[in-house]
Amino acid sequence: MIDEALIQEVTESLYSAALRRVPPDTVRALEAARELEEHENARATLDLMLRSAAIAEEKGKFVCSDSGVPTYLVEIGGRAQWQGDIKQAIVRGFAHLVETISPPLLKHVNNPLTNERGFAGKEMPSVAVDLIGDAEYIDITCVPKALGSGRWASIKTFISPSLEDIEAFAMEAIIEAGSQHCPPVIVGIGIGGNFDLTAKLANRATYREVGSINPEPILAAMEERLKEAANATGFGPMGVGGSTSVLGVHIDYAFGHGYTPVAVCFNCWINRRAKARLHNDGRVERIF
Amino acid sequence: MAVHRISSPPSSEAVAQLAVGDLVYLSGEVAVTGGLPAHKRMIAFLDKGQPLPLAIPGTFIHLPHMVEEREEGGYDIHYVNPTTSRRFDDYMPRLIRELDLKIVGGKGGLGLDCVRAMRDAGCVYLSLLGGGSAILSAAIKEVLQVEWRDFPPHFRLSRMRVEELGPLTVGIDAYGNSIYDQIDRTARERMPQIMAQLARRRQEAAGEL
Repeated sequence: MIDEALIQEVTESLYSAALRRVPPDTVRALEAARELEEHENARATLDLMLRSAAIAEEKGKFVCSDSGVPTYLVEIGGRAQWQGDIKQAIVRGFAHLVETISPPLLKHVNNPLTNERGFAGKEMPSVAVDLIGDAEYIDITCVPKALGSGRWASIKTFISPSLEDIEAFAMEAIIEAGSQHCPPVIVGIGIGGNFDLTAKLANRATYREVGSINPEPILAAMEERLKEAANATGFGPMGVGGSTSVLGVHIDYAFGHGYTPVAVCFNCWINRRAKARLHNDGRVERIF
Repeated sequence: MAVHRISSPPSSEAVAQLAVGDLVYLSGEVAVTGGLPAHKRMIAFLDKGQPLPLAIPGTFIHLPHMVEEREEGGYDIHYVNPTTSRRFDDYMPRLIRELDLKIVGGKGGLGLDCVRAMRDAGCVYLSLLGGGSAILSAAIKEVLQVEWRDFPPHFRLSRMRVEELGPLTVGIDAYGNSIYDQIDRTARERMPQIMAQLARRRQEAAGEL
């Protein structure tokens, strides 16, 4: 049985772990980009990024001072056996993390009505819940979402957009973010659905393994050409020039309608995220 | 790509030789803050002609920092990391001119009004690695002063001693050249051909599918 105590413990430890490393898929993508990069400054910056990632992981240091907004995706299998208040377990896990983590976190959150600062706020942590088939487990993905990259997200509702319209919108968002979102970034794009689903698709697309191939052929081709296009802009690592502006473009889609929203969002180069699988027998398996 | 070792407070001569794209290792005293409220308060002090509570040693870095004062004196330096400088675009031209800044650091560069102020003041912008906390924090050797403790730690105005902070990339030089502006303009100029290439690739993909 998966209980509150286990969920609290896992979500807290996922957060702490996510802050102290660049995930392996992202390190591989940075290494691959380093091999292809011809711009001298960009190569130096990519080397520095890889060194920063290695030191953080080796010494258990934070990769960034911005510990981000705690964001969790909870995917519940149809045959998962659990009891208790999952959301409160995650809230308590984060509260305990704030009290005990070393080094201490910074207060990145405020009450937007009063500007009062804190570690947490209303509706935090942000928890999205999804149902996944008949699996006998619960998957939890933890993303300490830094808003230095998050703030450049964009959403627009089109009237029956063509692929060209969608790609033009994505490129506008990429140009607008320019050098500001700690490139090379992961670009997430959501097509279709309704307002909140589109944003969710885009956001979740950033969680996908960097370098993985989209199973949908139309999207696989679109991802490849948009990555090529984004890297042709020349912003480069940290926006100081080069041909590595994005590490991956990940796209997902849902049902369309005459009015079809498209969302574009970004995750900075450290691409922090960690995922664990909680099995019915209480076993915890770290997925990444 | 020249590599420079610059001491801070920086001399006008040392700063004048820096060109965009050069790499810099910085050693000496720097002033830092990560916060918009600190920028607003600095401007309020300038408005009143009041001296700041700490002397800015010619170098000012947009650097959120987590340091804690020890009971027995001194500070524990937990971590630092740069923040987005463009958030402070409205405040920086006056700070650059009136505090006689020679080096501004952060990430993502500054807007064109700041670039002009930097040219007038003989000041450069150095890009620190976002997500470089493990490397950058190790270069902070001593916290000398922390002011405005009514702010959260990362928003305070602090003075630190750094050794070999870097490598930092010169993003804006003291002659009005901004790598950010150049790259942004180039990217926008390239857009018609980038979009044409996307159209070709779409047609190829449609043929293959």
